[in-house]
Amino acid sequence: MLTLVRQELYKLFHKTGTWVAMVIMVAIQVAFAIAARQLPDIFNATALFNDQFVGGELVIFLAIALTASIIAMEFQYGTIRQLLYRRYYRSQVFVSKVITVLIGLVLMEVLSNAVTWALKFGLFPQVDLNTKVNGGRTLLVYYAQNLGATLLTTLLLLSLVLLLATLFKSNAAAIVTGIIGYFVASLAGSFLVLLIGQYEWVKWNPFTMLMLANQVDTPSYAQLTMLSTPVMIGCSLGYTVVLGCCAYLSFRHRSV
Amino acid sequence: MAAILTVDGIHKSFGSHQVLRKVSFTVEPGHVVGLVGPNGAGKSTIMKIVLGLIPYDRGSVTIDGVPVSITSHRTLGRVGALIEYPGIYPFLTGRQHLQLFAQGANKKQRIQAVVHDLGMEKFINNKAKRYSLGMKQKLGIAQAFLNEPALVILDEPMNGLDPEAVKQLRDLIRAKADAGVSFLISSHILSELEKVADDVLMLNKGLIVEQTTMHAMVNQGAEVYLVRTADDQATKQALGNASIPIMESPQGILINHEDLNDVLRVLVMSNIHVEDIAHVQHDLESSFLDMINSGKGGAVDANAR
Repeated sequence: MLTLVRQELYKLFHKTGTWVAMVIMVAIQVAFAIAARQLPDIFNATALFNDQFVGGELVIFLAIALTASIIAMEFQYGTIRQLLYRRYYRSQVFVSKVITVLIGLVLMEVLSNAVTWALKFGLFPQVDLNTKVNGGRTLLVYYAQNLGATLLTTLLLLSLVLLLATLFKSNAAAIVTGIIGYFVASLAGSFLVLLIGQYEWVKWNPFTMLMLANQVDTPSYAQLTMLSTPVMIGCSLGYTVVLGCCAYLSFRHRSV
Repeated sequence: MAAILTVDGIHKSFGSHQVLRKVSFTVEPGHVVGLVGPNGAGKSTIMKIVLGLIPYDRGSVTIDGVPVSITSHRTLGRVGALIEYPGIYPFLTGRQHLQLFAQGANKKQRIQAVVHDLGMEKFINNKAKRYSLGMKQKLGIAQAFLNEPALVILDEPMNGLDPEAVKQLRDLIRAKADAGVSFLISSHILSELEKVADDVLMLNKGLIVEQTTMHAMVNQGAEVYLVRTADDQATKQALGNASIPIMESPQGILINHEDLNDVLRVLVMSNIHVEDIAHVQHDLESSFLDMINSGKGGAVDANAR
């Protein structure tokens, strides 16, 4: 398994796109920080800090691209047979890819957070981490909770993207579908809330769990989702595992 | 010596379409086995089954006595393969591909050796997205040889290779076979396969219709001569009148070995000018065409070697 993960990381780190994406992410974060410093009336530094100077969204997009391509590229480039005919099993190949996605996600979060804190201390020393924000929480607690909730919803989203990636033969198609799916899921939130108001059982569908970050941000959201935050956390993890298993079954039965 | 690969009574269907029927054969250590058959005969399917890539309905596959299936891969560490076309990551160089898949000790030396053996020095450090078909093919073959496998499975390995590269590959296969490596190779370039294979498996409509040695294959057909004369029409007439059986071919008239003296006598007596008489070798290509034209479709005894 270690060999397989090492091979996946070797491929990831030898793609020029990986490094270009990281540089672009950092550049955008820096650009937003500079904008917030130059135009404080337009950009709220505290809100931007809490959103990792847009790094939070960028990490989601990049993680979607990574997840979609790590499976779909093997079919697109015809390399899947080389991976599967060796002494390893499909389950091991699949798990090695999941582990690589998780390592990639953690590394991107670390980079995004490191840049965020560097920008905060370098450009916005006045932003007080003990300031009370939403629900009487300090900015630091709010930041941590937001980060945790976003990470959970990202994992749920990635398990769905992983499932889609096993169905596609093209790298680009899998990435585009994943990102469009993310936007559609975000836009569908308000429609879903209306639907839950009408039929309460609809609240158990996996897309409701994508609103976890909103609920952590604004606890009164629980009246709309009709689920407590701990239940949403549990359901998010549960759906992530279920969708991950579905993705494995799809990968296992994919013809080579 | 025990066979390194034993395929015994394999049946395989895709839906209602049966592609393999009771396929049985063996590959001995150090032997090069050529797998030939028309398109759709099931060659790639056999190779994928041997590599544990697709399930089969009945039968068994063992490598070194260890069963292989889609859920049993533990012996496949000793196998190298190139199936259908080489899988290439365009963002990696050729050398990075080899570094990615190299396992065990002396990786650097093994990479250098396979690069040298296949004449890849000029392009091995370039990104694979700039490779020609032949370069990709060489890289795919290099990956199959990289980890010093005991059994190598190559599906159409000569695709896209120029004559010099084909010879390089042929020499490499022979050298490895002499060192004890076994090969199962499919190719449409039968003249090249004939030069390198020790044994031949003929597959048609999902059945092994012939399993023999290359030597026996070349010598098994009727020994015939190709006769070219100044007047083929008169020749046919004269031999017909003498009740000597003939076969027509685009190159001339084919006669049986035992009729040679009678044919010459008749042609001299008939005053027909003989331009050329050539002994015709029964090669792999003619055996293959015989099989296709006869529509052969019966299983043969796997031990009939």
